[in-house]
Amino acid sequence: MSMPNVPDMPAVVPARYRCQHSTRYEYEQTVVGSHLLAHLSPRPRPGQAGRLTRLGIQPQPAVVIDRLDWFGNPVHYAAIEEPHSILSVDVEMEVEVAIAGVACPERTPTWETIRATSPHSVEVADFLPRSTRVDTPQVMLAAYAQSSFQEGTPVAVGGLDLMRRIHADFAFDPQATTVSTPVAEVFGNRRGVCQDFAHLMIGMLRSIGLPARYVSGYIRTEPPGNGDWRGAESSHAWVQAWCGQGDGWLDLDPTNAVTIGSDHITLAWGRDYDDVSPLRGVILGGGRHLLHVGVRVDRIGPA
Amino acid sequence: MPVDVAAGMASFDAWDEMVTGVGQLRGHWQRFFSAHGPFAPELMERRWQSARGLLFRNGVTCTVYGSGDPPTGTERPWLLDPIPLVISSEEWRQIAAGVTQRAALAAAVLEDLHGPRRLIAEEVLPPAVVHANPGFLRPCHGIRQQPRLLLFAADLVRGGDGAWRVLANRAQSPTGMGYALENRAALGQIMADAFRNLPVAGLAPFFETIRTAIERLAPQASGGDGRPYAVLLSPGPLNEAAFEHASLARHLGLTLVEGGDLIVRGQAVHLKTLSGLQRVDVILRRVDDDFCDPLELRPDSELGVPGLLEVMRAGGVAVTNSLGAGLIDSVALASFMPALCQRLLGEPLLLPDVATLWAGDADHRRMLLGSLREFVVRPAFSAADSRGIVAADLSAEELDRLATAITADPVSHAAQLMLRPSTAPSWIDGRVEPRPVTLRAFACLGQNGWTVMAGGLGRVSADARHPVVSLQDAAGSKDVWIINEMVRWSPRQRPPTVPPWPPRRTRGLVHEASDLHSRAAEHLFWVGRYAERADVLARTLRAVADRIADDERPGVYEELQPLLRVLGWMGGVPTMIVWASQADPLGAARQALHAAFDPFNPGGLPAAIAHLHRASAGLRNSLAPDLDGILRQLQGIVARVPAVGNIGEQSLCLDDAATALAGMIGLEQDGMPRGPGWHFLVLGRRLERAVGVAATIRGSGLVEGNSFDPATVDVLLELAAAGSRGHVGIAAADPAADRGSQAIERLLADADHPRSLLFVLESIRSLLSALPHVAGPGRTGPIDAAIDVVGGLAKEFRTAPMPVDPAELQFLVARLDRLLPGISENVTEAYFAHVHAQRA
Repeated sequence: MSMPNVPDMPAVVPARYRCQHSTRYEYEQTVVGSHLLAHLSPRPRPGQAGRLTRLGIQPQPAVVIDRLDWFGNPVHYAAIEEPHSILSVDVEMEVEVAIAGVACPERTPTWETIRATSPHSVEVADFLPRSTRVDTPQVMLAAYAQSSFQEGTPVAVGGLDLMRRIHADFAFDPQATTVSTPVAEVFGNRRGVCQDFAHLMIGMLRSIGLPARYVSGYIRTEPPGNGDWRGAESSHAWVQAWCGQGDGWLDLDPTNAVTIGSDHITLAWGRDYDDVSPLRGVILGGGRHLLHVGVRVDRIGPA
Repeated sequence: MPVDVAAGMASFDAWDEMVTGVGQLRGHWQRFFSAHGPFAPELMERRWQSARGLLFRNGVTCTVYGSGDPPTGTERPWLLDPIPLVISSEEWRQIAAGVTQRAALAAAVLEDLHGPRRLIAEEVLPPAVVHANPGFLRPCHGIRQQPRLLLFAADLVRGGDGAWRVLANRAQSPTGMGYALENRAALGQIMADAFRNLPVAGLAPFFETIRTAIERLAPQASGGDGRPYAVLLSPGPLNEAAFEHASLARHLGLTLVEGGDLIVRGQAVHLKTLSGLQRVDVILRRVDDDFCDPLELRPDSELGVPGLLEVMRAGGVAVTNSLGAGLIDSVALASFMPALCQRLLGEPLLLPDVATLWAGDADHRRMLLGSLREFVVRPAFSAADSRGIVAADLSAEELDRLATAITADPVSHAAQLMLRPSTAPSWIDGRVEPRPVTLRAFACLGQNGWTVMAGGLGRVSADARHPVVSLQDAAGSKDVWIINEMVRWSPRQRPPTVPPWPPRRTRGLVHEASDLHSRAAEHLFWVGRYAERADVLARTLRAVADRIADDERPGVYEELQPLLRVLGWMGGVPTMIVWASQADPLGAARQALHAAFDPFNPGGLPAAIAHLHRASAGLRNSLAPDLDGILRQLQGIVARVPAVGNIGEQSLCLDDAATALAGMIGLEQDGMPRGPGWHFLVLGRRLERAVGVAATIRGSGLVEGNSFDPATVDVLLELAAAGSRGHVGIAAADPAADRGSQAIERLLADADHPRSLLFVLESIRSLLSALPHVAGPGRTGPIDAAIDVVGGLAKEFRTAPMPVDPAELQFLVARLDRLLPGISENVTEAYFAHVHAQRA
């Protein structure tokens, strides 16, 4: 894999991973059919290459279709047409990753420049308006964000600062929220998980006119050095902030207060969780269900 | 962007359709009057009443959404003004040219935005108009179905300057053409004279165009007759335009379905029918596009078909208007129409929009905030409806708040200039008044391009300042007559007023056996159950009412007690009232009637009829007009109830209900082929009748060991004889005890008597045996199990001695209590649980 040459930043050491993601639904009553939509393949991007080594769906689907979605993410559609009471989706992939990131945050355009140019850009048009999960352009979100973006602040500097403040002000608490907790509630309670912080930060950036998008992926289980990664051993989510044509998108992980290098694996990006949820399905019948999800990210060596 | 605000504002005075500013009759109206004669009050009133009656008889309604939780819908009769909106053919040619161009433009815009998106790249449209629009359905990008747009409608208003303008574009659900058709059918009938003498353009060719256009869309032909199989996808009977969905389906020869009736299997869409899966080639949708596939679009939608988009991508089904078409309806898009037309069609826009500003554009925003009071502010990305904010109505403080909201989120706000619509003569409260009108015009993509319906749906506003846009808010509707002033034709040359009925797949009351879909079968089953329940209730209540009216007769008090107990066991009146009947039978009987007529009593007669109506609403498309007529008659009876005060009126009501319900049985027996549909309907009836017999036995008091007093025996016999007075059929001279056991036998084991339990059980058994076989592999199916149980019980009745002592009767009733719901559940499991529907 060829890596971009970035003299200003310490070179990111590439890493190689095997990721396993298993999902299992147990239904109270027999399900007679399911339709699934999975965002469970590594998304090709500069600094990341990988492939799906296994897509195991039980029972055997009658139809499987692989395609790219509107955002260019790989997506798998599957239709199961036989009755079942357990549905499992097991995915394995191998990924090499070393994301270079924004070379020099201080040299990115001012946030005012980004705010002024973004409405005219087709490239970021999807990521500026409100979206289903980030639908509250609230004055209070803007007020919180604003102190990271003083007059003339380079956009990446402001983004990094906002990320660190969210990390400092908000508690990681898996009990505090569910998959459908609104952003306003996360903001009010000051606690949540990676998905909540990603939506919150996206809402803040958009509230002051800066394009932001949601990234779904994994984070390596064992962080380098001491301490814990938040969001390991499950699906992870973070944010990309738009830094203009020259610098592109900057990945910011507000859950761990880091930019990304070789510890994050990207699956898909979109406006919010709804665009890229790892597994979405509609079943016919079934009643209540139990859900088990397991994620393992093993480093299998340097690239 | 230039917006001609000044032109709109200069013309604030209303134009009148009939007379000029100096009070002169316009030419085409002169022509109208020469055929019609003057508006004579008595004549007009008669026509107004006839129109109402005719539309009521035809079941034309519009559902008005309530605000309850869950939201409810009330059906409101469709109102038709007896004075049509008359437009000269010369003027119509211009309108039609404008609507044709607009439809072509809408199609071209959709094509670009779901494909190359040059309009954004070339900056004809700012990115936000599309990307901030919730109607821009990203998963629909790249679906290649051609054409994306088949049907289009535009709401038009005429300003004070005499020019027609577009108030709203409709590609999501171009609703109203079915209503236009009904209006024409009604007016053509009540104004036959005027019609014969005027060259009014007919509507039939337009519907023929739609029918062939739908067939042309089909990617393959899966109908049994070698033609494409097409369905009309409706959100269901609670939608505001449910009537129109049924009416259109009928006129276009489509099967009326809901999302739950369809299933995706093997890259194809199928309709679930009792005999298996029927592949669907074309879906004419009246479900909003974002609700059509919960897998890829709104996940909370229960109106769609999971997996539909993937089938569309593979080209296995055509959906029209295609998903994503709703984008055209956005108010924000209206301000870009001239530029879009120039860019995509290379010609100037013929029919302008009502001046529209999109606050996302800086210049527009400045203009809007500068003269906010002149505007109606609307959400930028939804269709124009009647819920806009009329800035002129706001206080200074509210106006400030609106301006702040626009500034805070300009992209989501748009505004239309207040425009006073033209007025047309309308029949209001017994006289002719000028009322504001709007005109909805319809277009369809035919073989040779777009064609516009020669007519449309006229709507009358209740409020002079607000043009009507949504179906629900109109004070009335108008037929639209395009009159050719030059032509004079003889009545013989007249084309038909409305299209002839297409060949239907129905025979008798409901669909042919093979075509009966699972939901229709389920509805029929419930129609049967509720019709029978209403019938038993009405007859029992009538027996009570008769006795109240005749309270001097000896024995009345004693007879009322068991009657009220039966009603109590049926759940028709509260137990409190039944208890009170021991102390004061007459008072309790009056209370019981009152309770049974209470629309809020879930076990009362109005509730049973409401359930019956609801179950039949899902069948609208396939019910014979006569049966439909009976159902409406019943609705009318229920509607009379609040006004019913005295016992005489109550009796009359019950008589009418019993007669109507008896008529329904007659139609079932004599007007319906014995297909699966009939079997489900009658099965529902029989099950409910068995429930009624169980309640009668309980109410007799015999299970508690009460003796056979003569009063109870009379009541039992009367109920056994279906509540018909005087036809008891057992000699009154018999000693009471003998008559008692005879009554029990009549009720339970008289194989020749259609209301005996034995008759009912044997009937249930043979009905179950005649249903399509569904036994699973290697085990007894639910229906076989039910047949065994019912058959066993019937056999006991035939062979064993009659149970007469209280313990035996008690045991019997307890068995019925278990058995009857069990059968209902087995039938549901076998045929209606849609999870079973993929049996093929």
